[in-house]
Amino acid sequence: MDVLPNEEEQMVKNLAREFLEAECPPRLARDMEKDDLGYPPDLWRQMADLGWLGISLSEQYGGQGLPLTYLGLITEELGRAIAPVPFHSTMVAALTIAEAGTDQQRQDLLTRVSSGDLVLTWAFSEENPRYLPDTIRCQATEDGDSFILNGTKMFVDNFVAAEKCLVACRTAPATDNNHGISLLLVDAGSTGVSQIALTTLAKDKQSKVTFDNVRVPKANLIGDLNHGWRVAQRMLDRGTALLCAQMVGAARKDAEMGIDYAKNRVAFGRPIAGFQSIQHMCADMILWVDGGQLLTYEALWKMDQGLPAVMEVSQAKSFCNDKCEAVVRTSQVLHGGMGFMMEFDLHLWYRRVTAWSMRLGTSFEHRARIARALLDQPGQVRLGMNLEMPA
Amino acid sequence: MDFAYTPEQQQLREDVRAFIEESVDDDVRQEIEELGIRRRGPKVRELYRKLGERGWVGISWPKEYGGQDGSRIDQYIVEEEFARAGITVGGAGSGAPAILAAGTEEQKKYFLPGLIRGEISFALGFTEPQAGADLASLQCRAVRDGDEYVINGQKMFTTAAHYASHIYLMARTDPEAPKHRGISIFLIPMDAEGITVRPLWTIQNDPPAPAGTTYGDARTNEVFFEDVRVPASCMLGEENMGWYVGAMGLNLDRVGASRYLISVQRDEDIVNYVKSNDLGGMNLAEDTSVRDRIAELWIEAQVCRLMTMRSMSLVEKGGNFTYEGSAEKVFAPEHGVRTTETIAQILGPYAQLLNGSEDAVEEGVFAHNLMGAFQSGINHGSTQVMRDQIARRGLGMPRT
Repeated sequence: MDVLPNEEEQMVKNLAREFLEAECPPRLARDMEKDDLGYPPDLWRQMADLGWLGISLSEQYGGQGLPLTYLGLITEELGRAIAPVPFHSTMVAALTIAEAGTDQQRQDLLTRVSSGDLVLTWAFSEENPRYLPDTIRCQATEDGDSFILNGTKMFVDNFVAAEKCLVACRTAPATDNNHGISLLLVDAGSTGVSQIALTTLAKDKQSKVTFDNVRVPKANLIGDLNHGWRVAQRMLDRGTALLCAQMVGAARKDAEMGIDYAKNRVAFGRPIAGFQSIQHMCADMILWVDGGQLLTYEALWKMDQGLPAVMEVSQAKSFCNDKCEAVVRTSQVLHGGMGFMMEFDLHLWYRRVTAWSMRLGTSFEHRARIARALLDQPGQVRLGMNLEMPA
Repeated sequence: MDFAYTPEQQQLREDVRAFIEESVDDDVRQEIEELGIRRRGPKVRELYRKLGERGWVGISWPKEYGGQDGSRIDQYIVEEEFARAGITVGGAGSGAPAILAAGTEEQKKYFLPGLIRGEISFALGFTEPQAGADLASLQCRAVRDGDEYVINGQKMFTTAAHYASHIYLMARTDPEAPKHRGISIFLIPMDAEGITVRPLWTIQNDPPAPAGTTYGDARTNEVFFEDVRVPASCMLGEENMGWYVGAMGLNLDRVGASRYLISVQRDEDIVNYVKSNDLGGMNLAEDTSVRDRIAELWIEAQVCRLMTMRSMSLVEKGGNFTYEGSAEKVFAPEHGVRTTETIAQILGPYAQLLNGSEDAVEEGVFAHNLMGAFQSGINHGSTQVMRDQIARRGLGMPRT
């Protein structure tokens, strides 16, 4: 039992922070809000050279084979730097290919991910953006060696930057025992694919993507036909835990900016950091971000160990949604009018953390999962014991 | 990072549970109920002797003072299992961390084995009628007279004074110095001549709170010192350095299983209650609002657990707290209050029924908790003072 990063983990985290402080100033995030691609390929290349893109992918595919916790720490630092890179979406898709893909698919795809040559994304949500199997209406029908894909996906991250998109679609009715979902890796440039850019609070790249009779080779099926829901669940949970890490990283930086500002801003003849009301706001920011961080680390660690982690993921996301949001809002308040100024950088963090709180599960959705595990199965509960979802 | 207990630690937990099952019988429980756990009648003393035989007391303390040189996590496991059975072994408020850090060899040899065996316990003599959160303004005086000190003054809310063997006393030794620099700590037997203990009855006294209530103490005390003469060797640490000795000890004493459990046990209770009681068809387990709030509380309880584990991890690595102990002491008690008040709105009028009432739920523990939960955010350093410390020690913000 040691809930703190060990020396090696801390070293990886520190190195990531040093690199990003030098190479990824807030100006980059600001510039990329107006960029068509949404990320600087140079930075992506450097991240590949540092081994980040394959940090938790197998050495067979050019990765480092390190535990998921390391990927979490890198993601946390990218969040801290609000790095405008398609890291999260690429990792979510790549880890799912690593889990469910064939040897050939892994060899072909993951090697290119590790080397920085392949940007990926994934698409689950549709018009009803709940993370439940019966919300999936995108339909793939078999036609010879191909599937023909039709439907519309919402809130797809970095679609404009991605070469391929892992799409959850229906290949059998929802009444099927396994929910009738399959995962297809679709080339973003295929005939019949179109996207409309969504203008998000974060001003990052999300798209509404429509598939109109898109032909996808059967070789691009990831995992077993009709059995994609279980794989998708794990994909969503991993993505959620990593998003929590990103939120925690960004929220802590945001809190630190608030604390620094309070130490320098003079009012009533002294730095406002000397006022107890301000100090208590700052103390609360640290409590909240610490709580989110501990929950996130536990979720990542459990997943890495192959232990059931649904509860831990939902705990982390619900808490981060509420508390990271409270952190960045408190920091805005500490900054007074300055935080409201376009010219001032603080809003870059505020807008991102706030947008992230709505992705990959709202607080209500995650708490509903927790309530199911707590209340919908027999037996006494006890804190510290493993609690799994009811079947 | 490693969020699991080792197989050995899991076995230890099983062993402790089995021991409690076997050894904490109705007779022991009855004695605890009559005397309170910390007063120790013959049956509880026998229980402690058996614990000592198994090497389950003072696990993380140095061997030379009666401990086992073992892991803090192991000790935590034993503390948690006993705390869940309503029995305090080691844990918060023992005074031991400060004695280990600042005591003379003689003091360590005398006090630590006694604390481990449960033969010595301290009442914390900090608070005074005019010195609570502003503890450093305390006025109780200790005046040097040859090889002795003469103590005069009054302490208040000294909860263990009527059963503790000793008092861990903060007194002023230099009234001319700045207030933090004129305080010393004395370890004084409660039977010293000139000490008078008078009871102060709390709102938990009538009816008595059921076992496990957060701050269910029926009684606390005021303690008067009239020309109490003690040998100079009773002083802990250097003269006038008592503030710093005390502050360090308090930080270490704030963390641990009992502090954690008093803040989260109602979370477990409400889940277990709601899923097995229908209350005439009210069926709370299917109420969407109730489900959401219970899940929210559960998540916070996990944060309490993880903050406790963070403190254990820091201690285990030999690290020092800057603000982590204070963070735990803000989050957990405030969570306990949120849970207690939320449960009131979940159970409605049942949650007002006190111990002994017809139809009281779980012996009235939820109602009694409403009289006790806020107390845990006050004692041992209020949550407001704790936030001051987070800001100053953790975030480098200036004194106000």
